Amino acid sequence: MRLKSAQAKNLYKYIISYFVLWILLFEFILPVNNILPKPSVVLLSFSALWNYYRLPYNFSVTISAVYLSILIAYFITAALSGYIVRKNHFVTELLLSFHWFSNFIPAIIFGFFLIYWLPSSIYIEYLFAFLIALFSLVIRINEESAKVKHEYIDSAVSLGVSESVILKKVIWKSLQPSIIRYLIVLQFNIWSVLISFEFIKGGYGLGRIYRLAINYKDLSALFTISIIVGVTIYLGTLLINYFKNKFYNWSLD
Amino acid sequence: MNREILLEVKNISKTVYGMAGSKVRVLDNVNFQIDNPETKGQIISLAAVSSPELTSLLKIISAVEKPSEGALYLYGKQFHKPEGKIVFIPEHSSSFPWLDVEQNVKFAVKFKNNNPEEIDKKVKEAILFAGLDGYETHFPDDNSLGFRFRISVARAIAADAKILLLDEPLRNLHGETKKEIFNLIKEISKKFNITIIIASTNISDSILLSDKIFLMTRHPGKVADTIDIDKSKELSIHSDYFQVLKREIEKLFFGYENIPLK
Repeated sequence: MRLKSAQAKNLYKYIISYFVLWILLFEFILPVNNILPKPSVVLLSFSALWNYYRLPYNFSVTISAVYLSILIAYFITAALSGYIVRKNHFVTELLLSFHWFSNFIPAIIFGFFLIYWLPSSIYIEYLFAFLIALFSLVIRINEESAKVKHEYIDSAVSLGVSESVILKKVIWKSLQPSIIRYLIVLQFNIWSVLISFEFIKGGYGLGRIYRLAINYKDLSALFTISIIVGVTIYLGTLLINYFKNKFYNWSLD
Repeated sequence: MNREILLEVKNISKTVYGMAGSKVRVLDNVNFQIDNPETKGQIISLAAVSSPELTSLLKIISAVEKPSEGALYLYGKQFHKPEGKIVFIPEHSSSFPWLDVEQNVKFAVKFKNNNPEEIDKKVKEAILFAGLDGYETHFPDDNSLGFRFRISVARAIAADAKILLLDEPLRNLHGETKKEIFNLIKEISKKFNITIIIASTNISDSILLSDKIFLMTRHPGKVADTIDIDKSKELSIHSDYFQVLKREIEKLFFGYENIPLK
């Protein structure tokens, strides 16, 4: 705990140092450059982002696609957990067969096909994010289920409890801390892939703002939107960690 | 239904596949029977010099694992599936860290009983007996190994277990915790009509706790001898009877291993 807080202290020191360095370097020493924008221009670019780049709409599209897809995928896997954690079940085998393809075909390529099949649909972004979230979770749950302490399963079996209860109330439950921890990695992966998807597709989302900013050579918009994405992912991580510590706070070690 | 014999283990063998697909005979024709106690529970030890055979045998008796050959009988009736009458408590805690004490104990009954009043009564009784009253909302992780063991015991009592299988319950325990668990095991057998079968690699613990000891060989495991403990004699680490028994058991173990005694 002490180590963690010491690390956090150091981290904040670095962040403040970078911030001060950025102000000194790019506000006063190198005000005109192509590397990073002036801090004062970044402040002004917020209003441009709001008005010309339609930040509220595009931001809400991306953030809802990321977190709704994770939420829905989590509840679907919870509902199907009885099948997912069961070895050699055809539902599990079917879902895991996609894992084999995903080892060789990056998810974004699947996104290209979606863009080709449904170019004008506003829902494909949600569908794309949801499918990534669902398959990532299924694969993760299946891998983690092999690590569940057999003592829990053995004692539940000997109590004469049915298999479905064991799957749901013992195996699925004991997987929760690691699944919730995995959501942090998952949200980051979905953000990365989804922004690329939006960038390629155009239309809406933060990826579209990136595309426009690059087209207009608007360095300050590029920088500001990156800060917004970073802060959102950071807040998302805090929120997931809060849920994990509040509701799934047991250790399996 | 045969009320005289509580448990009969008949020709139980277990073969597993080791590394590189080689067959390993873990248990070989294990045979023994345990009589039904008339008034109180009894404590039986399965003692061996190594624990994998013991754990495997306990899992088979509780029907958690299937034997490769052989059959099991409870009150003379063959069984294949676990029904909650023979409860296995693994060496490490089996209490679920995501449930508090009360929920852990309730787990043993709530999926098999539809009467909420009966469930509550059983849970309360089991918690009271295991000395966990007042700790109903505590979580296993926040407490000691002894506390977690008590939860597992309470769960078995709530499930109306007839036989309790304890896998090395005293291993890695010292001082007060060991004494606490030791006394709890004795108390369960006295208070409830539960037969306790303990798997142990510690000869001293087996002698001090048990009414009867089945000595097992290893690689593969097989019941080689039976030692009846005379409870009317003084039984403490320093008593002559204890020392004689210990020496006798050690000698038998060395004999199984073909190791000449010095």
